[in-house]
Amino acid sequence: MIQKQYKNNRNEQALTLAFVTLISLGTGTDLAAFEAIITNERSGDAIHINDEGSTTHVAKVCSRPRGMTKGFDDSQVVIACSDDDKVIIYNRKTKAIEAEINNVTGAMNLTFHEPTGQLLVTNEGSSRASVYDLKSGRFIAELRTGLEPDGIAITGDGKLIFVASENAGLVHVFDGATYQPLDVIRTNLRPRRIALSSDELWVSSEMGSRVEIFDTKTRKMKAEVIFAPKGFRPEQMTPVDILFNPNNNEAYVALGGANHVAIVDTKTLKITKYILVGRRAWGLGLSPDAQTLIVLNGLSDDFTMINLNTRRPTLTRRAGLIPHSIEVFK
Amino acid sequence: MSVVRLLITLFAGFISHASAATFHAVIVTASGAESGARGHSFAGIQTRVERPVQRGVELALFESTTSFEAYGIVPKLMIIDLNDQQPIDTQLAQIPTDALVILDLPKPEFIQVATALNALERTTINVRHPDTDLRDQICLPSLYHTIPSERMYFDALGQFLIYRGWRKVLVVHGPSERDKERTAILEKSLKKFGAEISDIRQYTLSHHPDDRDKNKPEFLTGGASYDVVAVIDSDKDFGRYIQYSTRRARPVVGDVGLTPVGWHRTLERYGAPQLNERYQRFDQSNPLPPSEAMSDAEFAAWSAIKLITNSLSVAGINAQSLSPRQILEHPDTQVDLYKGTRGSIRNWNHQLRQPILLATSEAVIAVAPMPKFLHPKHYVDTLGFDKPESPCQLN
Repeated sequence: MIQKQYKNNRNEQALTLAFVTLISLGTGTDLAAFEAIITNERSGDAIHINDEGSTTHVAKVCSRPRGMTKGFDDSQVVIACSDDDKVIIYNRKTKAIEAEINNVTGAMNLTFHEPTGQLLVTNEGSSRASVYDLKSGRFIAELRTGLEPDGIAITGDGKLIFVASENAGLVHVFDGATYQPLDVIRTNLRPRRIALSSDELWVSSEMGSRVEIFDTKTRKMKAEVIFAPKGFRPEQMTPVDILFNPNNNEAYVALGGANHVAIVDTKTLKITKYILVGRRAWGLGLSPDAQTLIVLNGLSDDFTMINLNTRRPTLTRRAGLIPHSIEVFK
Repeated sequence: MSVVRLLITLFAGFISHASAATFHAVIVTASGAESGARGHSFAGIQTRVERPVQRGVELALFESTTSFEAYGIVPKLMIIDLNDQQPIDTQLAQIPTDALVILDLPKPEFIQVATALNALERTTINVRHPDTDLRDQICLPSLYHTIPSERMYFDALGQFLIYRGWRKVLVVHGPSERDKERTAILEKSLKKFGAEISDIRQYTLSHHPDDRDKNKPEFLTGGASYDVVAVIDSDKDFGRYIQYSTRRARPVVGDVGLTPVGWHRTLERYGAPQLNERYQRFDQSNPLPPSEAMSDAEFAAWSAIKLITNSLSVAGINAQSLSPRQILEHPDTQVDLYKGTRGSIRNWNHQLRQPILLATSEAVIAVAPMPKFLHPKHYVDTLGFDKPESPCQLN
């Protein structure tokens, strides 16, 4: 309750300050408050950070926490614990682990489809993905993929499931209702993450140094996005996370070893800005007001916040060891 | 709709398999020519792993199953163990024209076979020898090198020493010709990146009292000022006694201590744990314990196959044939090496460009190129001979 009160105050403050900052240089803009949870692969924890970049809580969660997604409500995150072969539900308000799904071999990445309550998890070492009912923890189905499945996504209507297999260079397509395989999409080297827009499938090819865009219905490639920030060579572009901004036509791509984030215009596919961040930029999170982009830097063990109005980084702070995934809440 | 699509996919797969292209992978060995003491030092103590590269090849073929299916390719692995009864040419004649030939041979046999295969225009891969003469002098148009060159290894080490600020280097090497040649390459690498060589000293295995300065580590490393000791000991014979016995308390690098390697069992990033685990487990009839990993030669053999199977889209594959040569010559050919930066071929000397790991026995300490060592074209081309420096100009 007190926390809520505080947040409201912060929002008011943000509103009153907005006018002032528009006139000023546009740096240090006070945006709406948020809390983010970051999983740290090596230190085995989830940290809570606030909109000022301060770590407010460190929760030891499990061994090698990697993929993370939002759960049923605003208080839950679901975390893949890769070395413990399990998935946990962590409550950020009570700061406690609420539930566990066990025997999830090599849990790597996950996504939650709220309308059906299905949790989809990739099982990195065993060339498959598995589907669970998040509420009961009941196992529903197993999907055969290529070697090293990583990114997994389901369309909003729940009809199609996509799984990227890093080693195989394939995205497998499954029927979201029957879980039957429908199609296989060939990608460039090491497809990592998948982002879905209304009719497009964006796949980051980490070793192919590009983002490939496919039509979700025909599964044909529509376009490729190639990156070239100043001072880096083509093979240093090792993109991982892709994020769409729901409020405009922007997509954000973390360029890994090229230590930049690219802002891509989703209409023209032009790269409108490169922003220098930390080393091996890979995980991305967007604040609920879509004004702040948070980038996890996997080699420098920190995160960078970017003000999307000014398109400049505002701060970089220590994360845990090997920050992997981030979810941002109001 | 979806069922129809699936059936078409399956049917198409079936059709293409009926007249499928074959990927011929050939490993040439000469088990009779291998030294019985391979990988062993004094009193039979094993100091290094030197396994046949076959497991690395089989792993790469296993990993490529879905690619083979997608392109309608049938892989065939042939192993030729050369004998000294028949002429070598007769034994090599059975190699198909469009094969990828991996040579797992000691150096004298390697040169003989690689030269013969070059005359036969067979695409040949060196997975075992970092020796610079094979690249710079012998320089065969049919020969590719997926194992790093000595120069790449030592450039990586040189960059690391400069990065750490360990500029003054005492070099200690063994008495063999190979050790001397490698010491000369190390010297060039150290100079290239601005390190200073305090002294170069030779270890001598001798009982003569006057030679005590040359075989007792404390004396061998005494009377000099240095930040680090670099040991060249190709046979891993004496170097293992240097660490913790140096006159001054200094780190040891080179063939012992912190070593530049192509692959390592403890690499934690870039998907490497997955590859290591798969190497141990993919052959269910012969699993290996988690302590085992690919040697640099096995990794090079794995890389050679993956160069082809990661790049099937770049060169035309028709139903009948797959040309590894065409793929290797294509500028877009690339391979996911699980080292954070993809590999590709240097067209001037056919060397696979790749990051080099700097590792102790227990951990990967750094991945070279080190930060701030920049190249105008290719990120990893600060390691090894760049195009203008290379005596070998194949393109």
